[in-house]
Amino acid sequence: MWNRKKSNFLLITEIFFSFLVLFGVMSLVIYNYLNYTKPLGYDYENVWHISLRPNSDSTAQNRLVQEQLLQRIRGFQQVEAASYSNSNVPFAFSQMGMSLSYGNAKDVQTNAFDAQDDLKDVLRLQVREGRWFGPQDDASTHKPVVINGMLKQKLFGEEDALGKLIPVDDSTHYKVVGVMDYYRAYSEYDADAPAYFSRINLQENNNHLWGSLLLRVKPGTGVAFEEKMMKELSGIAKDWTMEVATLETMRQSKVRLTLVPMIALGLVCGFLIFNVALGLFGVLWYNINKRTSEIGLRRAMGATAGQIYKQFLGEILVVTTFGLLLGCFFAGQFPLLGVFELSPEVYVTAILIAVALIYILVISCALYPSRQAAAIHPATALHEE
Amino acid sequence: MITLKNIEKVYQTKSIETVALQNVNLTVPQGEFLSIMGPSGCGKSTLLNIMGLLDVPSSGTVEIGGKLITSYKDKELAHLRNEKIGFVFQSYHLIQDLSVLDNVELPLLYRPHVSAADRRKRAQVALEKVGLSSRTGHYPSQLSGGQRQRVAIARALIGMPEIILADEPTGNLDSVMGEEIMQILLDLNRQEFTTIVMVTHDEQMAQKTERLVRFFDGQQVSDAKLYDFQKA
Ligand SMILES: Nc1ncnc2c1ncn2[C@@H]1O[C@H](COP(=O)(O)OP(=O)(O)O)[C@@H](O)[C@H]1O
Ligand SMILES: [Mg+2]
Repeated sequence: MWNRKKSNFLLITEIFFSFLVLFGVMSLVIYNYLNYTKPLGYDYENVWHISLRPNSDSTAQNRLVQEQLLQRIRGFQQVEAASYSNSNVPFAFSQMGMSLSYGNAKDVQTNAFDAQDDLKDVLRLQVREGRWFGPQDDASTHKPVVINGMLKQKLFGEEDALGKLIPVDDSTHYKVVGVMDYYRAYSEYDADAPAYFSRINLQENNNHLWGSLLLRVKPGTGVAFEEKMMKELSGIAKDWTMEVATLETMRQSKVRLTLVPMIALGLVCGFLIFNVALGLFGVLWYNINKRTSEIGLRRAMGATAGQIYKQFLGEILVVTTFGLLLGCFFAGQFPLLGVFELSPEVYVTAILIAVALIYILVISCALYPSRQAAAIHPATALHEE
Repeated sequence: MITLKNIEKVYQTKSIETVALQNVNLTVPQGEFLSIMGPSGCGKSTLLNIMGLLDVPSSGTVEIGGKLITSYKDKELAHLRNEKIGFVFQSYHLIQDLSVLDNVELPLLYRPHVSAADRRKRAQVALEKVGLSSRTGHYPSQLSGGQRQRVAIARALIGMPEIILADEPTGNLDSVMGEEIMQILLDLNRQEFTTIVMVTHDEQMAQKTERLVRFFDGQQVSDAKLYDFQKA
């Protein structure tokens, strides 16, 4: 079989490229899937998001309205907890980042979030070590922060993070007061990335107005309350623009954003594989027809139909294995060189799945032609005019 | 020994029914060199295929080496072909992708318990018998017609079969190369007592064998004893 170079070369190339395509798609799917299985670090159910934008420049007035809005919202019996936040709330499209350094850990890109003490109850955040923000932070010299596990790992490694001071600029330090396991805010399909919360203190005299408000409502609270609440809030903040949405609907639009391209890619990939399968089937069929006299001869020499079947299946499996070895060599460079910063686990699983899929594909394409080859009648195959 | 009794072979294709063989009764004793002649399409190849267990008669019985072939199970037939029968064809039927040596080894590939080294050794011996031991690494396309047919004969005899069935083995060769092939077959028959059944269109070739059977239109029309090599 080694001398059928041209046809084998074509098959090997075809298998090689199909493998690479499958490997790529599988890497993406597995990457997203593994991210999806990781905890988000918060509970988004029954949490509503109100975006707020004042339309006047009167800072003093706006700050007052900001206070009043929060008081009013907390006053509703349906609301369990509420907290201001920057606009980078869970499943939002806006993101905020900081570059943090500590000791040898330089420029760690970190998602930065702001939270009031109540956000812990709104999102049901779990603090693993230390504590969440509280009134005791009002008097602290350094700005308190709660960091996630990934940021702790990146900045401090195995060291204890609590009480550490992270330099922000010449005069400011963040002081780590708590560590939480996860906080993956933007999408269920996002990787676990470094993140921290810093504390919002409305009493502090700065002119910042917060763009978002998160509130947890009692289970079963619906549209009727939403309308009532928004009406009252409009009464307080007369010229403000306010929009409300549940985190659940925001989550769904994020899911679509990830899944739609994935499904499209899957369809393209499926179409490609279908074509490869057709081509493979055609080539095998052609080979067998070209080799009828060889089949007849082998049968005359004492090969059983079963041996012919195994021979044809075996040959294509050897060719497939060559294509796959070549493919694995290339795909193996991804984890080795750490391309795209995906974990090796993703690549290795993708390689294994792609190998299995290609074998399944090839075997299912080869079964029927091989069976036909075995069924060829020896006298007919050797017939010569 | 091959014994055919009341063999009939009918090919059924769509609307047409071709009677390829009819009422054939033929016994080929062990060690005989039999030639078969007859016009094209008279059923000679069909007869050889039935003797070689490559095809099944529509009716009648086949005995090979005194054993009646009753069950036509694929595995048993394949085993019998491998053990007892060697084939030589007009168009050689060598596998182009395999070297001469690999082509010759082929029958042993389908015989259990033959080691690779043993196959190699026996292929070399077989190629020596046909005078081609210097061409073992060549490929069929690098050989002349006569050389190719000698490879095919080496392949037929490597498994030490009782019977060699040769369908127009010299049909594609010029007379000099044909002579060489004929000589190899004659030697094989005389030295190893291999039963040979040879289909030929060449009257001179046929006359060199022990017995000549003529066919016409699927039926045996004459049967003549020419020599007895064993006695001679
Ligand atoms: N597989 C087949 N299907 C249908 N008809 C066949 C088949 N093989 C041979 N025949 C027919 O049987 C007859 C005998 O063929 P064959 O044995 O090849 O003749 P010969 O070898 O004497 O030239 C011919 O008429 C041929 O057309
Ligand atoms: Mg013929």
